Amino acid sequence: MNGYTPQSYKTDLKPVWCAGCGDFGVLNSLYRALADLKFEPHDTVVVSGIGCSSRLPGYVESYGFNSLHGRGLPIATGVKLASPALNVIAVGGDGDGIAIGGNHFLHAARRNTDLTYIMMDNEIYGLTKGQAAPTTPTGDKTKSTTYGNPEAAVDPCALAISFGATWVGRAFSGDVKGTTELMKKAIAHKGFSFLNIVSPCVTWRGDDQHKEIRAKLAALPADYDPSSKASSAAYVSETDVVTTGVLYEVDNKTLVDEILEIRWRAQGDRQPPTRKDLLKAFTPAF
Amino acid sequence: MSETTFSIVGSGGDGAVAAGDILSMACARDGLHVIKTEAYGPQIRGGESSCTVRISSGKIYAQSDTVDALIVFNWADFSRFRSEIALSPDAFVLHEADDKAPDEISAGGARQVIPVPFNKLAPKGKNILALGILAELFGLPIGALRAAIAQRFAKKAQAVIDANLASFDRGVAYCDELPKPAKRLDYVKSPSHLLMSGNEASAVAAIDAGCRFFAGYPITPSSEILHFLADWLPKIGGSTLQTEDELAAIGAIVGGSFAGVKSMTATSGPGLSLMAEMLGLASIAELPVVIVNVQRGGPSTGIPTKSEQSDLMHALYASHGDTPRVVLACNDVEDSYHATVEAFNIAEEFQVPVILLTDQSIAQRRETIAAESLEHDVVDRRLAHDLADYKRYRITDDGVSPMTVPGQAGGMYQTNGLEHDEQGRPSSMYIVHERMNEKRFRKLDAIAKKYGKLFTRFGPKKADVGILCWGSSTGPVREAVEQLNKEGLSVAAFVPKLLMPLPLAELEQFIAACNELVVLELSYSKQFYNYLRTQVDLPKNRTHVYARSGGSALRVSEVIDQVKLYAGVTA
Repeated sequence: MNGYTPQSYKTDLKPVWCAGCGDFGVLNSLYRALADLKFEPHDTVVVSGIGCSSRLPGYVESYGFNSLHGRGLPIATGVKLASPALNVIAVGGDGDGIAIGGNHFLHAARRNTDLTYIMMDNEIYGLTKGQAAPTTPTGDKTKSTTYGNPEAAVDPCALAISFGATWVGRAFSGDVKGTTELMKKAIAHKGFSFLNIVSPCVTWRGDDQHKEIRAKLAALPADYDPSSKASSAAYVSETDVVTTGVLYEVDNKTLVDEILEIRWRAQGDRQPPTRKDLLKAFTPAF
Repeated sequence: MSETTFSIVGSGGDGAVAAGDILSMACARDGLHVIKTEAYGPQIRGGESSCTVRISSGKIYAQSDTVDALIVFNWADFSRFRSEIALSPDAFVLHEADDKAPDEISAGGARQVIPVPFNKLAPKGKNILALGILAELFGLPIGALRAAIAQRFAKKAQAVIDANLASFDRGVAYCDELPKPAKRLDYVKSPSHLLMSGNEASAVAAIDAGCRFFAGYPITPSSEILHFLADWLPKIGGSTLQTEDELAAIGAIVGGSFAGVKSMTATSGPGLSLMAEMLGLASIAELPVVIVNVQRGGPSTGIPTKSEQSDLMHALYASHGDTPRVVLACNDVEDSYHATVEAFNIAEEFQVPVILLTDQSIAQRRETIAAESLEHDVVDRRLAHDLADYKRYRITDDGVSPMTVPGQAGGMYQTNGLEHDEQGRPSSMYIVHERMNEKRFRKLDAIAKKYGKLFTRFGPKKADVGILCWGSSTGPVREAVEQLNKEGLSVAAFVPKLLMPLPLAELEQFIAACNELVVLELSYSKQFYNYLRTQVDLPKNRTHVYARSGGSALRVSEVIDQVKLYAGVTA
């Protein structure tokens, strides 16, 4: 239907990211995924919050919205409900989505909002220069945890599954091919899909990040059953491995489905209400 | 003009508020003017409630200071409302005969305190019995009342309708044994009015203005807007989202508006506080959104069920940075309709967030409105169609840039909470920031020019005393001004409805035309006065301020007392 290539989705804006940043891999995967899905740029909206990774919409030829810290999901939800035909992709970092925006993550997932949420998880605050995030492993020294991080880390995938997301996957940004395939599945899913992309921050997590994560990579077993929450339990909150793949996938009614049903229940195929109908409750007609 | 005011006080189940509803609808049917207010104890359900209905043959603008008749089913319930209900000197007090009136409520002069065996005469319909008594004593429309009662119980069995009508008739007949009040309602039946609240008027206006997406979080006293739109938007192809908090509510409508759909949220003070950051995003991203803020007592949780005018400064200046926004106010229920449509018109045409300030007293009282007055021109967003050299944030004379919406081919752009250039690309350069601030603020100049007539002025052109007020204070001020001029004093009032930007030329002209000025408001820290001081020269030696906390409505007598302090001072 269109002759788009990954190149077609590139804007002339140069990313602000550091050399070696994992987010380049995410961006390249997204270009490929959009081209493979043959998405029209003008029917696509990429919404983000604030953070290094939230700069991404500016680099994608589409309608874009780089919004407020933690608030990408409510805005993306509004876009989708106002204009359900659009392809809506929300992106952001782990701090943006789990710390300041955690409540919205819960509710966007719970509602099964028809959008894809891509989290670029680097286990650190990068833009503010190296403070601990909710994903930073316990004990790690960062600028805000000079004696070692005293807090427990959470796995975004575990959260997404418990929040009610209907598609949850994990990818590694260093594997562009694998990430592209998972992105395509996530975007094709009907309902709220969550893809956590482990995306190294070489500046604040160390130069060896790529190597270290690559060494931990693992795949789900061939007979893995993604339709069961129980089977995902062994592959969340991992410490020594990074398992990529589709952890959870079910087919549920989406928020847009519900809204269309509500419209039907409210009005059905009856004549549209008139102004007189609108004012009926206020009119003394007796 | 002939008028009368009643209060009915009871416990949950006594039907005090239901009686007020029936009475108001009946009077609206026969073309009378009505203002109906309610008050409740702290219980979520049940508990004591009071309902006050003012009925008049002519237009009225505020709840009455005093009541001409008081119905009390239970004095313990009344004690909670004692400070809110003032009896006129010749008031009729009709109370449950089994419950002795307290000594302070004693007959004297023209005042009558009459025990009525409500429980005995109509154990299941004492509120309806009371309506019969009031109707017969004060000359209310009996036919309309009987029809309103039948309508109220229309979904019940015929026996229920008959029993209630019998209670009403018993009340009418009971008056044979009662003394007669000096004053009865004198009116000519005229075409019906609508009866609605400010919140309902705002919700209807949103639909008329083309709003098809509403997102909100429940909060007193604004939730009726959410309720009405949740019911109505799906019928006309729109949708409503009850969000997880107010941050998400305004976020969702920012998204909805970005996607090209007229979008609104409604909240009250605490919610507006949470929306402050996103207000700034809507301002810099130049996205039209309408935020209805129904003020209540503050700060913090404050008094959720009572009115105050203390969110003014927050509405005017909330959000960090230099953040242009438009602030509108409405003076009464009918005005809630017009101001809401106007809020959409300004937001959509000028791509700005608009805050509409209303308050509990307007939002939750029911008032009669002429149906034909609910008409207002609607302005739609201008979308860019010529996309050659399209720049979303192009610098223009009036600051309004061409705009595309997602789905529109060739119109792609990125919007941003970061300062950005004409294409929407992030920029941290001083000169870009300066030009963009200039552009965004120029829109306020254009709005002031186009909407400079958004104010109300009443009283003589030149006046001895000029009142400056806004919002719900306007009703009592208007009635006070009419009364004072009738008494021979020269008093005028100026009420801006556009608060940001203010209609400055007209305001300055008003200040020059009055000898003494009185700024009146329900804000302890004098927010309106302080704001005016930043905008116009208020002559120090002839400007007076009457500012007090909200929690109790401004009374007409209070305004009159204030004006009389200064009338004739410089004459």
